[in-house]
Amino acid sequence: MTVEIPALSRGRVAALWARKHLFRTPLDALLTVVFGGLSLYLIYRAVLFAFINGRWEIISDNLKLLMIGTWPRDHLLRVAVAVAVLGLWGGLIGGLIAGRQIRLGISASQGMSATQRISDLTRRFGLMIGTLVLLLLLTSTGGPWLMVISAVGTGLGGYWVGRYVGSFELARWTARLGLLVLAAMPLAAYFYMTAAVPLGEWEGFMFNMTSALAGIVLCFPLGVLLALGRRSKLPLLKWVSIVYIEFVRGSPLFVLLLLANVSLEFFVPPSIAPSKTIRAIVTFTLFTAAYLAEIVRGGLQSVPKGQEEAAKALGLSPTKQMFRVVLPQALRNVIPAQIGQFISLFKDTTLAGAALGILDLLTGAQAVTQQPDFVGQGLIIESLIFVAFLFWVGSFTMSRESQRLERRLGVGIR
Amino acid sequence: MTDTNQTVFSDATKVHGDVVIEMDHVDKLFGAFQALTDINLKVARQEVVVVIGPSGSGKSTLIRCINRLEEHDAGRILVDGIELSEDVKNIQEIRRETGMVFQQFNLFPHLTVIDNITLAPRQVRRMPKKEAEALAMELLERVRIPEQAKKYPLQLSGGQQQRVAIARSLAMKPKVMLFDEPTSALDPEMVGEVLDTMKDLAREGMTMIVVTHEMGFAREVADRVVFMADGQIVEVGTPDHFFQNPQEDRTKLFLSQIL
Repeated sequence: MTVEIPALSRGRVAALWARKHLFRTPLDALLTVVFGGLSLYLIYRAVLFAFINGRWEIISDNLKLLMIGTWPRDHLLRVAVAVAVLGLWGGLIGGLIAGRQIRLGISASQGMSATQRISDLTRRFGLMIGTLVLLLLLTSTGGPWLMVISAVGTGLGGYWVGRYVGSFELARWTARLGLLVLAAMPLAAYFYMTAAVPLGEWEGFMFNMTSALAGIVLCFPLGVLLALGRRSKLPLLKWVSIVYIEFVRGSPLFVLLLLANVSLEFFVPPSIAPSKTIRAIVTFTLFTAAYLAEIVRGGLQSVPKGQEEAAKALGLSPTKQMFRVVLPQALRNVIPAQIGQFISLFKDTTLAGAALGILDLLTGAQAVTQQPDFVGQGLIIESLIFVAFLFWVGSFTMSRESQRLERRLGVGIR
Repeated sequence: MTDTNQTVFSDATKVHGDVVIEMDHVDKLFGAFQALTDINLKVARQEVVVVIGPSGSGKSTLIRCINRLEEHDAGRILVDGIELSEDVKNIQEIRRETGMVFQQFNLFPHLTVIDNITLAPRQVRRMPKKEAEALAMELLERVRIPEQAKKYPLQLSGGQQQRVAIARSLAMKPKVMLFDEPTSALDPEMVGEVLDTMKDLAREGMTMIVVTHEMGFAREVADRVVFMADGQIVEVGTPDHFFQNPQEDRTKLFLSQIL
């Protein structure tokens, strides 16, 4: 005899779930009601603020100032061209990686349907794209739209070209030439922009992004060298590394930035002293390198001794033992901590505004509340929320990508 | 004990008297602990020497001294006529001539199987990529896993990994192969495939020093068996002589424990 078990309706399933998880005991029920109510109230207030009460015109009116500071209108085209070049650059790199992965049969998107790919890309970059669209909707002129559309266009074009080129195994010299071109592209964009406005006058969110990027790129080799130096058998190298790392890690970044602002005048005449932006970037680099060195050292310690022994036994030189065998594994093992440090650096760029008097995103957001139209109306909340939101979008995307990278590099490794 | 500590050659026909490895009064200390005491051993070209003994007897330390993974404190070690010294160039030259296979395989997990094998020929011998890859495929055929070339080490079974490790060492065309308990970390069903690979190698005339607990392998393949205890070589002999007619009490005790 078979017993017919009637299928439960959706409502019934939900009710059962709620009883099990939310109303199991009288105390559970009380907590659910109290905190549920509180959460609903907070959400209500947040939505009300975001869509009705918040006076976002302080952002939309000042969007250009917040993004690129007092960049002269005559040279806006340079920003657009530079962004398009960077789009092409990013697209090329992404395409080359994808093409290579497809060639080697290790692509993550292999076997995904078109819909799966789109949902995968949405999960990865949807937040960033959404934010970009939101920013565009806040603009009143067509310039930013054109800029973004051309950058997306060059980006997609670069991706397809990169993917095509990446599907071939290039001869060594062709590959080297290609790498040189790739390295030259952002530099070309940089020089094109500084030809109009020197780096020292870059402001707004552009300052935060460029100084973070420069800091990340520059601190990486320095951090690795410091980590190797700390493990070195040469006493001088070892002690210099240790003293440096411990000194920098023992001081607040804000203090170092303030020092960078004032101390240079002791050593060099003001006429040749580097700009505030350069000082900020150098300080970020030196600061993050010390932290990165400790992270990398942890990574080096995580590689089993047998790896070095196997490399030795094969007759590899000490340098090659390190750079071909131990270091690649060490860096992989500490990807989350490295990216975490880079995210910190990205957010810490806001300290430069206060310490060095640079009109970055945060300083700009504070300054606009003093404009005649907005002064004394308590709009600092809108300003700060906007700043926090932009940094959150950047940091969260980096964090998600780091997790993905970690998973991808883990293929066949752990 | 002293008379058996003399260097003894087997009467195996393979031995031509051409000495590849010579250890002469070698001592090794770990702090205050004497790991090796007065080691004298000569290994002839194409000879297979199996080193056995209880754990902690210094077997691994002995072969690790030959390619300078451990530094000996006294005595002389010559590999193919080159004496091991402080000189880094000299040490690297010796390491290029000696392959080593480890208990834990020690494959490079971030490289594919074929890249594991081509790394040293390309980086040390400056072999072109194409040539190195052809060599690697030839070696993978020899250890019978050419189909695994594009995989990563940890996607393979233990036995397959150890065979890749053997291929990786062979890629440097070494004059001597050192095996440090190559089957001890393997699941029992995989021991056979690795031992078979080693037997092939011995048949092809490779000079080998093998630290192992596989007595069957010692009996079948070894030209000489070296028995070690407490950091000293206690007894050396042909497998027949060694297993049927051991001379020393320490050897008899060990054999009675394991057989």
